[in-house]
Amino acid sequence: MPTPATTYERIVYKNPSEYHYMKVCLEFQDRGVGLNAAQFKQLLISALKDLFGEDAALPLDVLTYEEKTLSAILRICSSGLVKLWSSLTLLGSYKGKKCAFRVIQVSPFLLALSGNSRELVLD
Amino acid sequence: MVRFKHRYLLCEVVSDDPRCRLSLEDRVLGGLIRDTIARVHGTFGAASCSIGFAVRYLNAYTGVVLLRCRKEFYHLVCSALPFITYLENKGHRYPCFLNTLHVGGTIRTCQKFLIHYNRRQLLILLQSCTDEGERQAIQKSVTRSCLLEERSDEEFSESGEEEAAEAME
Repeated sequence: MPTPATTYERIVYKNPSEYHYMKVCLEFQDRGVGLNAAQFKQLLISALKDLFGEDAALPLDVLTYEEKTLSAILRICSSGLVKLWSSLTLLGSYKGKKCAFRVIQVSPFLLALSGNSRELVLD
Repeated sequence: MVRFKHRYLLCEVVSDDPRCRLSLEDRVLGGLIRDTIARVHGTFGAASCSIGFAVRYLNAYTGVVLLRCRKEFYHLVCSALPFITYLENKGHRYPCFLNTLHVGGTIRTCQKFLIHYNRRQLLILLQSCTDEGERQAIQKSVTRSCLLEERSDEEFSESGEEEAAEAME
């Protein structure tokens, strides 16, 4: 008996997400430096403006920010990811104090930032 | 073939003040454009555009400027030109703007365009001039440029335009 022909359709999304999410942490050389959320965003914008000028008017969002650990989750549109990451890399100081951004995780999906397989502990 | 490709931007400096064009200098203009690119595109823009950047040709009488930049980054230079609002020379500040006439891949194409553009400008000047002495000077320039076209001269036919510009002032 001949098998009936089945219609087969395969849909492939190249990049379904227009945003990229970054988990970053700011580290200072000296202890005891604090920033509130507005100052943190101002630091990010000034880093972008330093490297890319007025052209750095990207819609950047700080989704969460923890003042104690100075870590945050940022959202940026996918076309601006390279610009943001390179300007975070080249940021050297805040108000004369040396600091550095550590990028912990980058993902096009926000859910992926909730778990990190590197920190997974197997029993 | 492996060579560095450039883009040549033909621009015109337009200003209300007649002293603005006469105070044009290639180094001053080059510095001004570099500063504007650094302001608009930041450190990255300033560094990427300044490698192949040069002011190749400058005409103080007509205000025509030919800029050269690398092909990969010419869009940064092009987009920074509207942000130039004044020209500063020896402490005097003249408000002006840069009008982009043509973007070419070689100096020769820009030269051909400029010759064609100047002939059209002479005809427009002829139509709009009021003084009889000016009219005769422009008509002489137009006939001379037609003769040069027949001889297919390769030089910039700017002398006619310069005389007309002098007669206007």
